[in-house]
Parts: sequence; structure tokens; C-alpha cells
Amino acid sequence: MTLDEKAHQPLAELIAAGDSVDSLYSALKDAFEGERTAVSSADDLKALRDRWMGRKNGLIAAANDAWLKAAPRELKPQVGKRQNEIRQAIEAALEQAQNDVAALGRKREALDVTLPGPERRLGAKHPVRRTLEEILSIFRELGYSVAEGPEIESFFYNFEALNFPADHPAVDEMDTLFVEDKMLLRTHTSPNQIRIMEKTPPPMRYVVHGKVYRNDAPDATHSPMFQQLEVFCVDENITLADLKGTLEHFVRRFFGRGIKTRLRPSFFPFTEPSAELDITCVFCAGRGCRICKQTGFIELLGCGMIDPNVLRSAGLDPEKYQGFAAGFGLDRIAMNKYDINDISLLYNGDTRFLRQFR
Amino acid sequence: MRILRSWLEDFVELPESSEELGAALTMAGMAVDGVEQVDGETIFELDITSNRPDAMNHFGIAREVAAIFRRPLTPPRVEFPEDSRTVGEFARIEIEAADLCPRYVGRVLLGVEIKPSPDWLRRRLELCGTRPINNIADLTNYVLLELGHPTHAFDLDTLNERRIVVRRARADEEMRTLDGLDRKLSPADLVIADAYRPVALAGVMGGLETEISDRTKNVLIEAAWFHPGSIRRTARRFGMHTEASHRFERGADLEATVWAADRIAGLLGQLSPGVVLSGRIDAYPTQVQRPSVALRRARLAGMLGTTVPDEDVVDILSRLGFSPQPTADGWRTPLPSQRLDVEREIDLIEEVGRIYGFGKIASTLPPMAAAPAPKPFEDEEAAARETIRGLGYDEMVGYSFISEKDAERFGSGEPVRLRNAVSELMTVMRPSAAPTLLHAIAHNIRYGEESVRLAEFGRVYRGGSGTYQEPASLAMAATGSAREANLQEQSKAFGFYDLKSDVEALLGRYDFVHVDFDDRDVPDYYVPGRSASVRTDRGRVAIVGEVDPQICDELKVRQPVFLAEIELDKLYDAGLRRPQYRPLPRVPPVERDFSLLVPEGVPFAEIRTAIGLVDYLERFEPVEIFRGKQVPEGHYALLVRAVWQRETESFRDEEIQASAVAILDSLKTKLRITLRS
Repeated sequence: MTLDEKAHQPLAELIAAGDSVDSLYSALKDAFEGERTAVSSADDLKALRDRWMGRKNGLIAAANDAWLKAAPRELKPQVGKRQNEIRQAIEAALEQAQNDVAALGRKREALDVTLPGPERRLGAKHPVRRTLEEILSIFRELGYSVAEGPEIESFFYNFEALNFPADHPAVDEMDTLFVEDKMLLRTHTSPNQIRIMEKTPPPMRYVVHGKVYRNDAPDATHSPMFQQLEVFCVDENITLADLKGTLEHFVRRFFGRGIKTRLRPSFFPFTEPSAELDITCVFCAGRGCRICKQTGFIELLGCGMIDPNVLRSAGLDPEKYQGFAAGFGLDRIAMNKYDINDISLLYNGDTRFLRQFR
Repeated sequence: MRILRSWLEDFVELPESSEELGAALTMAGMAVDGVEQVDGETIFELDITSNRPDAMNHFGIAREVAAIFRRPLTPPRVEFPEDSRTVGEFARIEIEAADLCPRYVGRVLLGVEIKPSPDWLRRRLELCGTRPINNIADLTNYVLLELGHPTHAFDLDTLNERRIVVRRARADEEMRTLDGLDRKLSPADLVIADAYRPVALAGVMGGLETEISDRTKNVLIEAAWFHPGSIRRTARRFGMHTEASHRFERGADLEATVWAADRIAGLLGQLSPGVVLSGRIDAYPTQVQRPSVALRRARLAGMLGTTVPDEDVVDILSRLGFSPQPTADGWRTPLPSQRLDVEREIDLIEEVGRIYGFGKIASTLPPMAAAPAPKPFEDEEAAARETIRGLGYDEMVGYSFISEKDAERFGSGEPVRLRNAVSELMTVMRPSAAPTLLHAIAHNIRYGEESVRLAEFGRVYRGGSGTYQEPASLAMAATGSAREANLQEQSKAFGFYDLKSDVEALLGRYDFVHVDFDDRDVPDYYVPGRSASVRTDRGRVAIVGEVDPQICDELKVRQPVFLAEIELDKLYDAGLRRPQYRPLPRVPPVERDFSLLVPEGVPFAEIRTAIGLVDYLERFEPVEIFRGKQVPEGHYALLVRAVWQRETESFRDEEIQASAVAILDSLKTKLRITLRS
């Protein structure tokens, strides 16, 4: 007789056939233990639970009916105790099995975490753009507005209004690209000074930037198109000392505290007095090298007090207003900053170059 | 310009250290580019700005040194015996074009002997980079380097009638200049002529026929002042740039004419036998008087932002050649003839400032007097840049000019042309950024970069005289893989829909009511049927598609290239999408898939339009397209997914069923689309 058959057999008959209460319950327990160890999934566990603890057809329910309820009076306490023990043991075991199976389901296979994931690339920001944005944020903190302006510009705004006499050598040195007699590609961002001053009542402080053009054949250091940035500030009492302070602040923020500056007199038609701002040579830290011609300084930008003629051509009274202006090539600053030795890299769209600026 | 230390020492006592001297000159605006030791001499290489022709010589630099270091300046000694015969007996000078030559000074030397110059003079010329020729020619060069005034020596006996006429050239007149070239002259050119013919291109170069030669005995020295504009135009027209034209163009010293002529006469004794005739011819029809200029003390301090002590102001200006006299609120000074660049109060302020030293001015920051104005469309632009970068496009910048050939192919109508192009590849202002991007793609492929995504924020150029426009343009180009093969996935080629979705992602940031794609009005450098116009409530805003393979082929690009051109101004005008909160649904959405049988040629946009507005229909999207034997001829199978969503109340099956039936009815009646059985 199998154990399943025995579970449905009245107890008295089994005892008559030679089983004892203890042996019967021990056999049940052993059978359960055996089946439990074979459980390896939630399905197995459910089958095990149904088989043993099923309310109607489970083995424990069967034993309850066939053995306990039908037990002779003198055996009832013993059988009751045994029946209780085995029910509790199985319930506890099933709960444990439930936890084991759940843990099994949460188990994950180990990966080689050093393998690369699929590449997702952000686009690169052009180095000149990076430089521009950095500079703009410095001047924005100082309350400067930002503007751009047209690239196809009139001779008037590009030269005349900026105090270039029509036959001045500077007009020729710039070697301008013309689209018609009196229209040209702006050779600098300064025409915007006039355009903005014409429209804006002082006080004003502006950064203007954009592409500018010269009639230069492209090579490692020349480009017929490049990018400039210019700052200017106009009010009743703006001084050369303000220009100096502003530029020194900018240089410290952009290049770092250790950089020294010097303001050196120079000449531009649109400023008077005019100056160039030199900074500690970044290549030799001011010790003197080939690039700074042993001077320890390199030229950073041109600047000065806006020439009264320029203020006048923009409709401002130079007796009442004065201001400063400073301008430089963004390309050159970017090239300095990132150690780029060939300007054509900035304009040919080579992704091997651009991706270095992701 | 090369300046010799020993030569400066003729005029001013120098600081012992050449380094100190160089630094001081640099900080006064005479940039020293280098200091060299040659053969016991210290040579300064100076970069003199174009407004300072007065400093393009040794005496001019000595004057600066005297001002900077406050030392006395000693001009060269001009003392020589004169012959009893007067210059007027031997030569005549007439100025016909007084507007271009207000002054012409002449001196005559008789009985000279042409030979090499003495060593000391040759050495100075050579160290300055000037080749010695003969004593008389060297003399003019020496005085040029010393005093800065260009002079010229004629062989007096080669001048017809020993007469000098300063006039405009006649039409078709010709002359041979010292460099041996025949110059065809025009009335725009100022010439020095003798009685019959031009003998020098005034202020630019002498003539070959009247030059000093071995046989020369008698010499006419010219020291004149020519109009800068005239010299400049003539020099430029002939492509000539000489030491003389360089200085006259920038403005020479009217008074130095006399001085330079006398200095030459004074040096003659050391170089050659011969005599200097008594007196000089000074053709100077109208005395030029420069005005005096006031310098206000308050204006000086207000411009520099520092107060320069009065005695420093006077000292600086005096040493530079000005003669400041005190006035009630400052000074007034006549203007020295060598400083044509100084003519206003502000110019005097610069003179005081640069010698006083910009370094002595304390740094200040101007007070913030007005709030900055926002830049138009600043946020709109930033959003576009951020999106493009996020989508993986590398930002490039390309030239604004393209070739004529590209202009024809990528433009319509007359482009903006350059008159003086840098090269034939850069003659036209681009009407489209397409060629810029395609050339960049080709460049990358040439270097083995086969998967490229590039974007450029720039401008395109249109219009003509008086109507130029430079709208902001964004161009995106992609080729190669959309996704490289990796351990998890196979590679996927970049295709039309990849670019389309990138463009949609970008446009999705702006406040458009609708964005639709259709295949009309696409330029012919795109493949028809694989390119689209993108239209919104603000009109067409972009073109997106595959580039004509023939164009790619010509660029040696043998793989599909996809290009999008976006009119940024229209995006910016639309403004950024302004998010607005909608309460979240409390019930889940309901999904249904429909397998439709669609007649070929019906585009999805029509299907979407045909179903119209359906209550609570949140999405209606294509999931799968299938063509094959199982599909009836002339049709394709389209699996679409409809999603309904309501805020608070769950859908009942009958509601969804009714909605689905309505959708299918519309499709059937409008487009003969049926459910696949």
C-alpha cells in the first residue's frame, strides 16, 4: 500500500495491519521532506502545496479525516498531537520554500561589466563657440548686453563712421572684400558700435560678436573669414581707468589669476587714446620664448577710448559722452586656449577635430 | 624699422640698459619687436604705427626718448660754408600743382665727385638694412633714416633748362623709373618734370634718365612735401611701395623740407669735394599755418581717469615739440609740423597719457548705470543649439562664400557676388548652407570618417543693393550609420526617417500649432520622393531629405547623404513651446491594434486626416507595414495602434467599440481602407 492510499485508510485498520501512529506520521514526514527538496520553481511549490495542504484533497486533510477523526478514543490525544505537529512543520517548510523560490527568481546572471555599452554621442560644441560663450558670460556678469549685426555692411559703417579717412592706409591694409562700390563684408565688428549707439541712449554697455572678413588667402595662420568680439561702454564719465579695470577683470576671469597684463599705447582710427592689451605669454609663462619674441608678453586685443569723431558720427555729443571699446579675434583666443596651430581646422568641419570638443 | 643705438646717442643721452630703453619705448607706443647685437651695435627693431611717420627715423625716436626719460634733445648740427654763387643762377623751380605740392625746396651742389661713401656712413646704412649705392644717393638715404624726410638727388645737367616743374602728368606721358620700368602716366599722377618731360614720379621714385651716375658733377637736391592721398593713389596704381611713398602717404613734415635739404648740404663736405651754392630755392606759394589747440585740465583727468600733475603735462608736451601756454582751465599749444596726427584736444590727451604711462593709471570698474537689454531670441537660439548637440550633431563653422558652380546648383535667382574674391572657390555669398555641409561631409569621408553628423548655425545671404538679407540658417547633414554595430545590436544605416525625427525633435521645442511634411517644392539637389518640405502654421520652415546621388558622386561620396535646411528665424519667431500642466489621468489608457488593408499610394498623413477628430483618441500610430503575397495586389497592409485616454472614468467596452467602428467607417468611406480579414 502506498503512503497516499494509507492516508485515506482508517487508522484502526492500519494499526491492525501492523502500523503504529508514530510510524505512520514519520513516514508522512519523510515523504514530505523528500518531495520538498525537489522543489525548484514557483510551479513546483504550488503543486507541493496543493498535494499536501489542499483543503479538500491534500494529504494532511486526508490524514485528518482518516486518522484523527476516525481514531479510537484511547489514541485520539496521541494522534491529535501528531497531526498538529506535522501540519505546523509542513506550513513552516512551505513558507521557507516560498522564500527560497522567490529568492531564486530574483537571482541575476553576472555580466562582464567592463564590456562597452552601445555608444551614444553628444554633439561637439565648436571651440570658437565655447570660447565665445565663456567670454559672453563674463561680460554678462558685468551687465553687458549682447548683439550681432549684419555681415554685409556699408562702407560708411565699416570705415567712414569709424573715423577711417577714405584714403587712409588702414583701409588698404585691411584689404576688404566688396560686394558693390559702397557695400562690403565687414572687416571687423566695430560697425555695430555705430549701429547700436545710433539707436540706444547712453548709458550702454555691449558685447558684439560675429563673423568678419578680410581678403586673405587661407593658410595656417590666415583665414578670409574669422570671428571677432568687441565690447564697448558709453556713459558720461567713462575713463581709460575703467577700460583698464574692465579688461583686467576679464583677463583674470578668462585666463586665471596668475596672468599679468599691460596696456600699451597703440593706434586705431576709431579710438583715441588707443592701446593694446598684452598678457603674460601663455606659452612660456612670461619667461620669454620664441612666440613672445622674448618679451614675456603676447598681444591680446586692441582697445581705447572711443574717438570723439566716432561718437559724433553715431549722433552722440562727445563733450557729454565718452566711452571705451576693445576688440579681438575669437579664433586667436580659442587657438591659444586649446593649443590649435592651424586656423583652417576651425572652418573645414573635420569631425576628428570637432569631436575633441565634446 | 631698424634703429641703431649709436645713432640715437647722437641726439640724446640713453639709459645704459638697452633692455630698459626697449621696454620704455614699447610702453610709450613704439613697439620694440626685437633687440639685436650686430658687430658691436645694438639694433632695435621697431614697429611704428601708421599714424606716426614722425617716429620712423632716428631723430624722431630720440625725441620720444627725450620725452620719456626727460633728457635734453640735441638736433644734428647743420653748418656748412656756402659758395658765393646763388642757387637761383643755376636752377629754377615752379609749382603748377600747388594743391598736391604745397612746398618744394631745392639746393644745388656743384663739382661733386661720385664715389663710394665713407665706411662710417656705409655701416650705418647697412645696419639699417639699406644698400649703399654712391655717396650722393647714400646721402639722401642717410638723411631719410636720420630725419625721416624723403629727398631726391637729380643730376642737374640732365634736367632740360635746369628747370623743375611740379605738375600733374599729361595723358599718355611716359617715363622710366629708377627700377627700369616704363610707367604710363595719367593726369592723376603728380610728377616732377623738367622743361619738357617728367623726370620723377613725385614722392614715389625718381627717373632713370636723371639719376646720379658716375659722370654726375652737379646735383639738385629736392626736399618737398606731397599730398598723402595723391602719393598713395599713384603708388598703389603702379604697385610701388618705397621708403619715400611710405612716409609721404602717412604725412611728412612740411618744415623738415628745409632742414633735410640743409642737412644734406651740411654732410657733403665729409663725402665729396664740391660746393653748396648760396641759399635755397623755397617754392612755398601759400604759407601753411596749423591752428593751436586747447587742452583742458578737467578733460584730461576725465578721460584718463587720473590726474597728471601740471608740471608733467607741460614737460611731456614741450619735449614732444609742443609749446603749451597756460590758460584759465588748462593750456593752449601750437601744433608742431611733424605731428600731423595731432590736431585735437583728445590727441593731446593721448600724448600726455602715453608718455606719462598707462601703467600709472589705477584700474576701476565703471558703475552699473543701466540694466542690460536681453538679446532677441536668445533662449530660442540656446534651445536649438542644445537640442542639436543632444541629438549628436557636431557643430561646425564653414566659410560664408562658395564657388560659382555651387551657387548655380544650390541657389535660385541672383546670388550676392563678391567683387574681389579671395579665390575662385569663394566668389559668391552662399544662398544656402547645403554646399558648406556637403563639402564638409566629403572632407570627412576623404579621411575615412564614414559616419558623420554635422550641423552648422550660420547665415545665408540674399538680396541685392539696398535689400541685403542674412537670415539665420541651421543646416544638418548626416551619413553612414545611425547606430554603429555593438555587442547588443547590429549597425543601422542612417536614413530619411532618422533625420526626419531629429528635425521633429527640434521643431517640437517651438510653439507651432502643427508640423506637417509633404513632398512638394523641394529643391532639385534633393532626391524627389525622398525629401520633404516641412510646413507649419508659420509657413515652410525646413527642407529635409536625401541629397542627389550625382552631387555626392562628384564629391567622391559614394554613400547616401541626408540633409536638412532649417529657417531658424521662423522657429525663433514662433517662440519656445510654453509647457502647461494638464491633470494626470487616473485611469489607464486603452489600446487597440487594427490591421488595415490600404490602397497603394495613400500616404499615412491622409489616413490620419481621414479619421478626423475622435473623442479621447490620444494616439493613432503606424506600427508595422507589410507588403507581400498575402496582401492583395495594389494594397499594403498597415498595422496601426489606437490609444484612447480619459481623465477620470474608465472606458466601457461598448464605448471603445463604437469609437473603433466610427474610425473604420471613416477610413472605408473616405479612403477605401478595410480591415484585413
